[in-house]
Amino acid sequence: MSTSMLPSRSKTSVLVFLIPPLLLYGVAVLLPILQSLFLSFFDWDGITSLRFVGFDNYARMFVGDDVFWTAFSNSLGYLAICLILQLGGALVVASLLISLRRGREVVKTLYLLPAVISTVAIAFLFQRIYSLEPVGLLNQLLAWVGLEGLQQAWLSDVDTVLAAVSIPEGWRFTGLYMLIIYAALLAVPQELEEAARLDGANWWQVFTKIRFPYIRPVWITTTIMASTYALRGFDIPYLLTNGGPGQASELLTTYMYKTAFTHTDYGYASTISVFIVVECLIAVGLIILLLRRKADA
Amino acid sequence: MTATVLSPASGPSTTPESSRPASPRRRQRLNVHRTLASVVIWLIVVVQVYPLAWLFITSIRTEQDFASGNPFALPTEITFDNYVRAFETGNLGLNILNSLIVTLGSNLLIVLLGMMAAYALQVLGFRLSRFVRALFLIGIIVPVQIALVPLFIDYSSVDLLDTYQSMIIPLAAFSLPMSIYLFSSFYEYIPRETYEAASIDGAGPYRIFGQITFPLSVNTIVTVVLVNSIFIWNDFIFANTFVLSDGLKTIPLGLQNYIGAMGNVDWTATFAAVCVTITPLLLVFLVLNKAMIYGLESGATKG
Repeated sequence: MSTSMLPSRSKTSVLVFLIPPLLLYGVAVLLPILQSLFLSFFDWDGITSLRFVGFDNYARMFVGDDVFWTAFSNSLGYLAICLILQLGGALVVASLLISLRRGREVVKTLYLLPAVISTVAIAFLFQRIYSLEPVGLLNQLLAWVGLEGLQQAWLSDVDTVLAAVSIPEGWRFTGLYMLIIYAALLAVPQELEEAARLDGANWWQVFTKIRFPYIRPVWITTTIMASTYALRGFDIPYLLTNGGPGQASELLTTYMYKTAFTHTDYGYASTISVFIVVECLIAVGLIILLLRRKADA
Repeated sequence: MTATVLSPASGPSTTPESSRPASPRRRQRLNVHRTLASVVIWLIVVVQVYPLAWLFITSIRTEQDFASGNPFALPTEITFDNYVRAFETGNLGLNILNSLIVTLGSNLLIVLLGMMAAYALQVLGFRLSRFVRALFLIGIIVPVQIALVPLFIDYSSVDLLDTYQSMIIPLAAFSLPMSIYLFSSFYEYIPRETYEAASIDGAGPYRIFGQITFPLSVNTIVTVVLVNSIFIWNDFIFANTFVLSDGLKTIPLGLQNYIGAMGNVDWTATFAAVCVTITPLLLVFLVLNKAMIYGLESGATKG
């Protein structure tokens, strides 16, 4: 790693190239992480002076705050729906796309289109899709298939709102993961699949024994990407419902945001954001552990 | 293409009769499968794209038509009044300009600093390079929300709140790791001999960077800029946290102005505004989608 590709270089030249990027990164990424960690042990409203409270914020979060646990379980629900739509959907579409003879490029481009749209635009769009008055796209569709009984205001119902705010996020990025998985599937050697089919393997066996093991490294990467993106999901729930009704669609991220910028409780907000980071790190660790272990079995 | 290579051999049965070549029944079955697959794919594509098409259709609907009619129906008459109202209500032009400034500024930093870091890590090399790489990896995993409160506090103490820089700095910094990664995986493939030849001619690390590495990076620069622009152009969270004055609002914030008092929304005008703001990126994407798709794929698959 430490070998240079240049025959000669000076220490100064390394520093000249390395310091500017490290400076920006340090100021905007590394330092804030440390600051959040620091602030999580204090009580601070941004105006009066800092008051050290030890682990009080953490105790309050884990023991004394019901909203935190609601937000946490909502975040897991959000994560589950996003993963199913993004990875499940991506895998199905990528597998089908492989067997398509024409128009693959068009499908790829169209499928990726929602990823280009801003979350604010998506929030406006889905507000109309879910609306009841005037009848939005979803409720109209239900009427056509004879399910008028199911028509409702999807964003105001406590039972449906979490799914309703998760689906747009899943929809938005499924194209991205489809592309990545498709590229990986293309690299699976055709001779292997052919040989397995000649031996009488059905499509499920071909998939589990040949295709999936081949794309496993990419699958791990995409699972990590999708999970960490879903755990930091914020824009769409914030814009569509702002966590409501009640706390039915409150995520940890929206809760943290409100704690910081509505209640100006910077200390406690930092505690929650430290938790979000830890949660992401645990998720990455779990994914690597689970998917690797299956490889050995 | 791959499917055609596959077709003669694939088939569920292994009995001698059916493994004979050119059995019309098997070919038929295969065709049925393939047709089914393409029908399903196109259905999914329709679900994926229809909402966007609907957005454009609604933006040329009259208000009455939108309020009363069936949302799936084609507009009874086409009107561009919504676009007129959209420009009257908001500051669309200014919002687009602000988004351009933020996107250009961030991309400039991402490309320049990304190349520099990758050059130091990959080409120059040094003892702690593994550690520095690990440091940059943190930025990929850690959610951006961790930086909101600290940056808000830091900005207010150095008077950076409500400026272009307040958006550009974190947007560039959080995109930097991926950019460094893309550049250094490209620099890996620049042959050592290229540098040796230049060194013999007396070029030092700075001249080599300017005259060899940088010119060779153009394709990677395009990829990095395209991929990051999607996220930066659409950024909501940093802009919403750090920007307050109307004059600095980027597109995502500007669009929120269309929600009037009491939550009343002029939907057709809002959709017209949405269409205006998504069109630039949409056009860039449709023209350059090959490069963009390549960038998104390589960002993940090489990991």
